[in-house]
Amino acid sequence: MAKDMTLLWGSGSPPCWRVQIMLEEKKLQGYDQKLLSFEKMEHKSQEVLDINPRGQLPSFKHGNIVVNESYGVCFYLESQFKNQGTKLIPDDTDQQALMYQRMFEGLTFYDKVAAVIYYEYYVPEGERHDSAVKRNKEALDTELKLWEGYLQKLGAGSYLAGPSFTLADVVVFPTVANLFRFGLSAQRYPKLGEYYGLVKERPSVKASWPPHWLENPKGDEDTLKDV
Amino acid sequence: MAKDMTLLWGSGSPPCWRIQIMLEEKQLQGYNQKLLAFEKKEHKSQEVLDINPRGQLPAFKCGNHILNESYAACFFLENQYKSQGNKLIPDSPDAQALMYQRMFEAFTLGQKMADVIYYNYKVPEEERHDSAVQRNKEALTAELKLWEGYLNKTDCCLAGKEFTLADVLVFPGVAYLFRFGLCSERYPALAKYYTSLKDRPSIKATWPPTWQSTPAQDTLKTV
Repeated sequence: MAKDMTLLWGSGSPPCWRVQIMLEEKKLQGYDQKLLSFEKMEHKSQEVLDINPRGQLPSFKHGNIVVNESYGVCFYLESQFKNQGTKLIPDDTDQQALMYQRMFEGLTFYDKVAAVIYYEYYVPEGERHDSAVKRNKEALDTELKLWEGYLQKLGAGSYLAGPSFTLADVVVFPTVANLFRFGLSAQRYPKLGEYYGLVKERPSVKASWPPHWLENPKGDEDTLKDV
Repeated sequence: MAKDMTLLWGSGSPPCWRIQIMLEEKQLQGYNQKLLAFEKKEHKSQEVLDINPRGQLPAFKCGNHILNESYAACFFLENQYKSQGNKLIPDSPDAQALMYQRMFEAFTLGQKMADVIYYNYKVPEEERHDSAVQRNKEALTAELKLWEGYLNKTDCCLAGKEFTLADVLVFPGVAYLFRFGLCSERYPALAKYYTSLKDRPSIKATWPPTWQSTPAQDTLKTV
């Protein structure tokens, strides 16, 4: 039941957003939730540490059960609420296999995006190098071309695993949304742009859109404009 | 059917080993396979690129389906062969949740291991810093302490008494730690986990061939 669930989260964080989209898709609205601020270090507060000793968000509880890894929460919820809300793991083997493949490639995708967007957060000032920044941008460019290719092959209006919205879209869309928030050019990546336009209209995504993105519709658009 | 499956793999690579263990657990022996050498850059060969445009191992085809991501292959195989071999996803919500939690936390463990073991391979000389080496070592130590804690609290396996998908996916990384010289005295729970599972039939059958013929390394002995 949603009322036995608690989610501690941060605005815009893809791992947190995945869980929120999932809860909407499985019709589990009404869960307890608290928005915390990374800048104020609230992810290291006792309230979070009590659920997640790593001091990270998302932190998620269902009764006595704790799952803090976003992919873990998604799989757990799909399994426990299989017959409720949207069916997110297709029976059709072609779509299922492609869904799993893209979901886990999605982790590499997220890492490459984060390496560029959060470079200064991850790397102490004395260790930063222009050569690393350049290399990370090139790696992201290569990765983006792969995903453009994947979407190109599936055709317009398609989701990541084919005609249906699946778990792959739940976990990867937040990364794609962050790309455009940080200024990725839809001219240079039209397929990703179309995909973004398609999925952002989905009710579960609209309902969980990062609040600070609503307050400030313009993000840090310089970060990825040259990628 | 195993004969419609093809695995291109490298010896000792945890992602490759996960799929091999999975195929054994699901009684899918007899698949087509080819051992390739990373040192000879065979992972960048056309044969691999034809299955995996990323030029990475494992490269795995299951009939028409391409599943190069090791977790993807394992999830797909468990789903497709649910009633064959060992049941690897428990029904109990508690055990299931713990299994999912640990298998995804293992990515963090893998990353921290790689940051230490492969520092010189991944970071060009001009970008290396003693401060980074130190920080990576401390991060790995903290991470290993977490896993010591997890394994101290369970009976045998990561999600409880039963061997699950979490063990298929995480054991290869733990074995890798000891291959690279992790000290058993300092990490007794991890050592116990390693020792108790290394004779499991699926693991014994797929033990990295190069580990039998070449000496281990001591990169992690001071961690």
